[in-house]
Amino acid sequence: MRHAKSIAVAAAAAALTFTLTACGSEAPVLEPSASPSPEAAGAEGELTPITVGVLPIIDVAPLYLGVEEGVFEAHGLEVEIVKAESGPAIVPAVASGEYEFGFSNVTSLLLAQAGGEELQIVAPGNYTTEDPAADFGNTVVPAGSAIAGAADLAGKKVAVNAPKSLLQATIMSEVEKAGGDPESVTFVPMPFGDMPAALAGGDVDAAMVMEPFLTLSKEQGATPLDISFASNQAELLVAGYFATDEYAAENPEVVEAFIAALTESFELASDEATAREALGLYTTLEPAVRDAITLPVWKAELDDTSVELQAELAQKFNFSEGAELDAAGLLP
Amino acid sequence: MSAPSTPAPARVLAATGGGLWRIVLALLLPAVLVTVWWFASADSTDPQVPPLATVLDKFPTVWFAGDDLGSSLFVETVGQSVSRVLIGYAIAMVIGIVLGVLIGTFRPLRDFCEPVLEFFRAIPPPILTPILMLFMGIDHALKISLIVVGALWPILLNTIEGVRGIDPVLKDTARAYGLGPVRRLFSLTLPGASPQIYTGGRQALSIALIMMVIGEMFAAFDGIGSAIAQFQATFSTASMWSAVLILGCIGSVLALIFGAVERVGLTWYRGYLRSQRGGA
Repeated sequence: MRHAKSIAVAAAAAALTFTLTACGSEAPVLEPSASPSPEAAGAEGELTPITVGVLPIIDVAPLYLGVEEGVFEAHGLEVEIVKAESGPAIVPAVASGEYEFGFSNVTSLLLAQAGGEELQIVAPGNYTTEDPAADFGNTVVPAGSAIAGAADLAGKKVAVNAPKSLLQATIMSEVEKAGGDPESVTFVPMPFGDMPAALAGGDVDAAMVMEPFLTLSKEQGATPLDISFASNQAELLVAGYFATDEYAAENPEVVEAFIAALTESFELASDEATAREALGLYTTLEPAVRDAITLPVWKAELDDTSVELQAELAQKFNFSEGAELDAAGLLP
Repeated sequence: MSAPSTPAPARVLAATGGGLWRIVLALLLPAVLVTVWWFASADSTDPQVPPLATVLDKFPTVWFAGDDLGSSLFVETVGQSVSRVLIGYAIAMVIGIVLGVLIGTFRPLRDFCEPVLEFFRAIPPPILTPILMLFMGIDHALKISLIVVGALWPILLNTIEGVRGIDPVLKDTARAYGLGPVRRLFSLTLPGASPQIYTGGRQALSIALIMMVIGEMFAAFDGIGSAIAQFQATFSTASMWSAVLILGCIGSVLALIFGAVERVGLTWYRGYLRSQRGGA
């Protein structure tokens, strides 16, 4: 099903690409391969088409904003954003060349690299805030729960959106810091949208939720434990835009243009009102929620320490079946 | 036939020889497939399609890692999953046969239930997952009831058909001989319907396995479905393939057991068919 759908998307994207190429150039040259020609970009006004696979989450607001404001076009890029169904689905699509770029959390990329994919982060995706208590995610317990902190999570069931993810690593690490046994926590993967019901029904004792679900669950009376990504490090790099090593080596100009356009988009998004407005481009959030949620931090510098820390945590809690996680190999 | 005139040792030889030949024949295709897989994937560098050797290497390193077999991933996940399948399947069998006999026996009840049965049968069981989760939570109750909901229909519908299809002359005869309802149930209805019930049971077995995996992939924290979901999420493709292998083996073993039970349970039926053919 998913495959059939992605083929349909790819076909649509290909059709669109051809149409654009045919319209934009006086002597259309249809290239058989998907690799664009960077020399053609900019100078003659012909845009290099790229596809970026993302999840329609708050983290990617600058990308949507930049595309909307024409920042990418100004850098010679015709961006098509494809909404993927799940994070792990983006990596194979980038690896197979279906998308030129993808958006994924760093832990997943480290695991994908250990699994044999040759990838690199070309640009940061988003950072946490500086304050674990005021981050764009948090671990919540139902009102009246006896759980008051990380130590109480030992032996409990905690909902996360993906197994062996940064969410799981963060909670395990915090439980360990508080003196509990991190292995005693049972992690139950489920979509963020299912977590409020699971919490209310007592199926799980706690849940780690990201915005906008954090704001929604707080409205429903859930209590935050202030265990969040920022607990690992203030301004932790959570996710990144990535490409295959091969693509980055063969298309340095495209990658450079992509980074430059993203940098400008991050600057645009640093204005909070603009960033919140941009959420309306690709989500159906109520304006009131849009204004209430905590936004991630967007900045253009790539923080190596964050990647190293995520590798260290994933390694420590054995997410990779003992395989070595190579932070340096993921950095450009 | 000619069997009685053949000397006993030759008969034994023919029997075991035939048995051996059948075993060889049964194992031939799997052996060929594994060989083809082995050589076709041997030089693969695509992380999505690892060499079979890498996949098999996951058995000692992932499934049976550690010194204690009892706490190995294999025993934990497979034990969890298989016990769920068996419990769910047994519940589906009991409900299916009891309801099936009732509905098949009483015409008015059948007319009363049929439209509703058609309605529920048309609902693909996997889509009930989120709904059932609201009532059942996310643990055993949910995962077992998903198996029951999926496996019930082939058993129920086949039992109804089996009971309905019993020769009316036999029913009248039983009644004429003054057999009580309990006696009629155990010496006519159930045996008469059993070929159909076994057919339904066989179909239900594969559905039960499918529902087990689906249930465990949802809110996945234990069982083999969860293992597959986790391997996928962590890009451990070789481990994922190994889990699929294990799943296939579970299916084969369960089907073998089912076949053996069916052979014993339906010995009379095959004899009956032979006599029918011989008598014609």
